[in-house]
Amino acid sequence: MSDIEPFVGIDLGTTNSVVGTVIDGVPRVIASRTGQILTPSVVAVSKNGKRLVGNIAKRQAITNAENTVFAAKRLIGRRWGSKEVEDARKVLPYQLVPGPEGYDVRAVLGGRTFAIPEVSAMVLAELKADAEAFFGRRVAKAVITVPAYFNDGQRQATKDAGRIAGFEVLRIINEPTSAALAYGFGKQMEKKVVVFDLGGGTFDVSVLDIGKSVYDVVAVGGDTYLGGEDFDRRIMDWLTFSFAKENQGIDLRQDTMALQRLRDAAEKAKIELSATQSAAIHLPFLAAAGEGKAALHLAKQLTREKLEELSKDLVDRCVQVTERTLRDAGIRPVQVGEVLLVGGMTRMPRVQQAVKQFFGREPSRGVHPEEVVALGAAIQAHALLYPQKDREVLLLDVTPQNLGIMVVGGYFATIIPKNTTVPTSQTHTFTTVQDQQTSVRIAVLQGESDKAIENELLGEFILDGIRPAKRGEVEIEIAFDISADGIVGVSARDVDTGQRQSITVTATSGLTENELRRILDENLDELLERKQSGELERLREHSQAMIEEIQSLVPQVREALTRSHFGKDALQKAEGVVARARAAIASQDLQQMAAAEEQLERTVQLFKGLAGGAPVPGGEA
Amino acid sequence: MSADRFRGFVFNPADLSEDVDLDFERRREILFAHAHVGDFTHWEVLGLAWNATPEQARDAYREKVKVFHPDRYPGKRLGSYRARLEQVFRRLTEARDVLTSEATRAAYARSTAPPDEFARAEARRLDDEERSRERRARLARTNPLVARVGRVHDLIRRGKQKMADGQFSQALNDFSTALAIDPSLAEAKELAQEARKRSSADKAKDLWDKALGAEAVNNLELSQEMAQAAAEADPTNPRYPVFAARLALRRGSLDAARSQAEAAVRVAPGHGPAHEILGETLAEQGDKVAARRELERALEIDPSLEKARERLKRLRWSFLG
Repeated sequence: MSDIEPFVGIDLGTTNSVVGTVIDGVPRVIASRTGQILTPSVVAVSKNGKRLVGNIAKRQAITNAENTVFAAKRLIGRRWGSKEVEDARKVLPYQLVPGPEGYDVRAVLGGRTFAIPEVSAMVLAELKADAEAFFGRRVAKAVITVPAYFNDGQRQATKDAGRIAGFEVLRIINEPTSAALAYGFGKQMEKKVVVFDLGGGTFDVSVLDIGKSVYDVVAVGGDTYLGGEDFDRRIMDWLTFSFAKENQGIDLRQDTMALQRLRDAAEKAKIELSATQSAAIHLPFLAAAGEGKAALHLAKQLTREKLEELSKDLVDRCVQVTERTLRDAGIRPVQVGEVLLVGGMTRMPRVQQAVKQFFGREPSRGVHPEEVVALGAAIQAHALLYPQKDREVLLLDVTPQNLGIMVVGGYFATIIPKNTTVPTSQTHTFTTVQDQQTSVRIAVLQGESDKAIENELLGEFILDGIRPAKRGEVEIEIAFDISADGIVGVSARDVDTGQRQSITVTATSGLTENELRRILDENLDELLERKQSGELERLREHSQAMIEEIQSLVPQVREALTRSHFGKDALQKAEGVVARARAAIASQDLQQMAAAEEQLERTVQLFKGLAGGAPVPGGEA
Repeated sequence: MSADRFRGFVFNPADLSEDVDLDFERRREILFAHAHVGDFTHWEVLGLAWNATPEQARDAYREKVKVFHPDRYPGKRLGSYRARLEQVFRRLTEARDVLTSEATRAAYARSTAPPDEFARAEARRLDDEERSRERRARLARTNPLVARVGRVHDLIRRGKQKMADGQFSQALNDFSTALAIDPSLAEAKELAQEARKRSSADKAKDLWDKALGAEAVNNLELSQEMAQAAAEADPTNPRYPVFAARLALRRGSLDAARSQAEAAVRVAPGHGPAHEILGETLAEQGDKVAARRELERALEIDPSLEKARERLKRLRWSFLG
């Protein structure tokens, strides 16, 4: 298998991301270069301007909250001014600004603004580097997963993120479908499977009908704003509220550093409570009490019962969404042959209990909830690149939301209903609404509401050159087309004149094609920069090692010098060299460091010679 | 892979020789399926026999999509075949959607049934009806409760039929019998009442015809008798007692005339001729005051009653004289 080009499947999560691949027909996850399976989806710019991704970024989040972006997935493909973005702005410690066109959202990091796909791309690039370290060669091809309930804009934005990271994105697939793929891999089965995926930021349910290695998605449902982060926030709110009550109304939400510590503590407590009945939360020196007084500490005990009470409505919402999705699929809970739990949040006993109660059966825990999505993505990548007769896999996915256009009165006319198997196409004929109308504006929307304004605008275009006539006389045929890649294409045609207009709905991630190209170019520069930083790293490490060696040799050299008549200043000279080298390391300047390295090397030679009793070369003295 | 699989379909050589990464057999398969996207039934599209089960449809779909889903040809040059594959795939999905749902499948099966199948299904349906009727009858014979309900049902049905045919007395008979079995039946009660009314009106009309006939042949006694019987049969119509009273008066039986005339006024106090005949009878009997009152009343209601006017004149003169 080593001759085939390496490929990966990536689960780009709200809180954590995972990368996997298939080797010799066996799917497996790839650990990061530091040995971790989960890479936090966190990106930061440190105080000295360095970009940090993953664990390092997460670790420094407390002291650098304004410059640390997490949960970017909740913002990807969203519009500036939408409810979701407004809500996010209230609780996120980092700053969000509108993009140049005013449509999309940008995050401010280290004084620079980044489009959200760029932020996600940094996480993807990190995973790419991990995979490349694992394979020892370049990795370009990838399948990336998104929540099933993501709309076209969010999918496109995720695909853009993949491109920015340097991937050739084979396919964007749904997380629950991916999980089912991993679950069914290598098994012969014939049953209906429900995937219950409660992740860090999103909740997804999918109903699949699996048989003859065809994974036929029957219905999907979900909530792109319901996940582990919401549970964390409930705990945080509870903590800040009780803290304020006990400490004369001190509001911790004003303090980004305290907030970050609370967030970490809340997440930790939540995870702990999946195994224990009670978790202690200790945050010493959380807030200043005012002049001359001791700093305030937070010490609370959170019980599992209390957590369940705080998050009851969240769990209820999950059940409601599940119920609706099953209804859409036209099946009853008893007809379900298997329930898969995916996502870290499904470790919570109350969630498992709710699932069990609803389906009347024990959910499957045979799969690792955090890795399964990445494994499925890897399997799909493998199937798309190297279809095999013996281990064939075919995914038939559906459109998650109704797709249609805006019609007179601001209403939404569905053209392709949700849960339609893709690829698909559909045409619909509309008429003009005004006398002598020669052009029509077509707004393409996705969503579930009857009112156009409540749905997501995917794009719009104008069909002109319509034959002037009385209203209702001209017929316009609108064709929607969703390819196997899930890309939406729309075309409009004047039935009489044959005048045609079409668009591929793409410019919704907020990044125009030009902008995307600019970012891709910049990333190339960045890559060069990174090469440089690799060189810096090597120099720094080497220099540091030599400094240590010099220091360890000092006693021997001093002793050797007492027996010698010359070279008394060798120690002072060495001290100077070490000091200069340290300065060079601190400056991060490649040239200075290279010079320092040379001097250090000579000093090491000299010291080794002195310590070994060899005669000191006269020239040096 | 026999050639006959494609039912003698003529392939376009240009399509077959397009420069794509597909083998000859696969090309033919795709071209054939694509050519029949429009004219094949859902069954044919999935390669199924008419009326195949939803499970068969689902299995067939799964096998077919492995050939016709574009994902099965990654990295291959497909040229015009890509669009063909997608169209065939959509058609397969459409067929699957119809045939795997029990509700839509049954309707589709009926609408696409081959002629002989249709005839067979129709025969089966009639057969079924015949059999279920027999079953009901058997049940009615053996189960007393069902028998009773069935009998009441039958009687009412029969009664209604007779009502429609104008046989009101027989209908009344049926409804009464039904009521005797189940006295709480509101429908039967209403029907019986209606039948009784219609039946007596019918009977009275019959007697009335006879009365008229008897009068025509100058058999006044029989005529009076018949008119009285008609008045008894249908007490709501004042015409019968008025006629009976007039005949009695002509025959000189004043008591009979008076009772009939009084009955007529009782039945229809606003009926002119009833007051007229009562007035005439009272005049004959010598009760002039009462007679004048009745006659004036008759003229008040209907000024065209000449007999009443004349009689009243005579009464006035004698009074004067």
